[in-house]
Amino acid sequence: MLSLLDTPKILIIVPAYNEEANIASTLENLTGLKEKISSLEICVVNDGSNDRTKEITREFEVVQIELPQNLGIGGAVQTGYKYAYNNGFEIAVQFDADGQHNAEDLFQLIDPIIKDEADMVIGSRFLKKTSYRGSVMRRIGIYYFYVILRFLTKQRFTDPTSGYRAINARVIELFIKNYPKDYPEPEVLIQLYKKNLRMKEITANMQQRQGGESSISSWRSVYYMGKVTLSILMQKIVKE
Amino acid sequence: MSITLVFFLIVGIFFIIVIESVRRGILETKYSILWIITCIFLGILSLSENLLEFLADFAGIAYAPSLLFLFGLLCTLIMIFDLTRRISSLSNKMIVLTQEYALLKEEHRKELAQMKKETQKKEEE
Repeated sequence: MLSLLDTPKILIIVPAYNEEANIASTLENLTGLKEKISSLEICVVNDGSNDRTKEITREFEVVQIELPQNLGIGGAVQTGYKYAYNNGFEIAVQFDADGQHNAEDLFQLIDPIIKDEADMVIGSRFLKKTSYRGSVMRRIGIYYFYVILRFLTKQRFTDPTSGYRAINARVIELFIKNYPKDYPEPEVLIQLYKKNLRMKEITANMQQRQGGESSISSWRSVYYMGKVTLSILMQKIVKE
Repeated sequence: MSITLVFFLIVGIFFIIVIESVRRGILETKYSILWIITCIFLGILSLSENLLEFLADFAGIAYAPSLLFLFGLLCTLIMIFDLTRRISSLSNKMIVLTQEYALLKEEHRKELAQMKKETQKKEEE
């Protein structure tokens, strides 16, 4: 467990787009963490939701950044990183609003960063056997990306689409300048690999979505895989 | 009426529309340049049949006017590509603006809350 004195300033970024069904329970879990880590702040980036996400978030003691328009996941998360940079946070954690991620895993997630063993830590559902059971289609997709990324980065990523990740100040600075827009999670791995930054996966327990609809519905998944493959390959050749 | 003449008429009308749009301020001057060049280029080609025949012969095209369509198609492709590039750059700028606006708004809200607190304190004193 972390000692309360020397914990760095940590920002949890929760991108939320029409998450009225889940945001309350997610924020309840996260604000519970505040008692354990005093230097923790939570920042909800409301990505132009047109439901009650905004009103529900206001009831919690969190920072809410309201984007006037929907920018998509990449633009929303980057806004959070910009907030982290402007306010001098040393660690930024991305946390999904849909209740998939387990707040208790946060300690394991930020531990390698505090010890300066990694620049980015990803919470993986598949590193060890966890209770998570995605659909077959989804698991095929994740294995497919594992193979591609293995080829492109010579590193093992068991869960490249996981949105549960922590980064240090160095990566925050990189991301505020340049953050992929379309499929940021897998693309970022290539981006950091090209910059020779250290990435690490840890085991994270994830629940199936508690409500609402995933951004990836099943009939679209093949189309999604094709597009992400292209994005990843493009990221590989992109000039910085 | 030969196809090249029809082509010239269409290009001519289009040229007038482009110039008129610039004059009325609907189309920005810098964006009109590509259109004007395209119109002049296609206009010359469609008027001078000798030049067209010569070029077609050179390229081994049996039916000369089809060269006209090839050029038209190429110009359109270049134009569309140019447009997608402009859209990408616009969308990047829009994202940066949106983010900056949202961050500023949040900062502003914080400052307002701070000010409110201070005035309340003063009033109590």
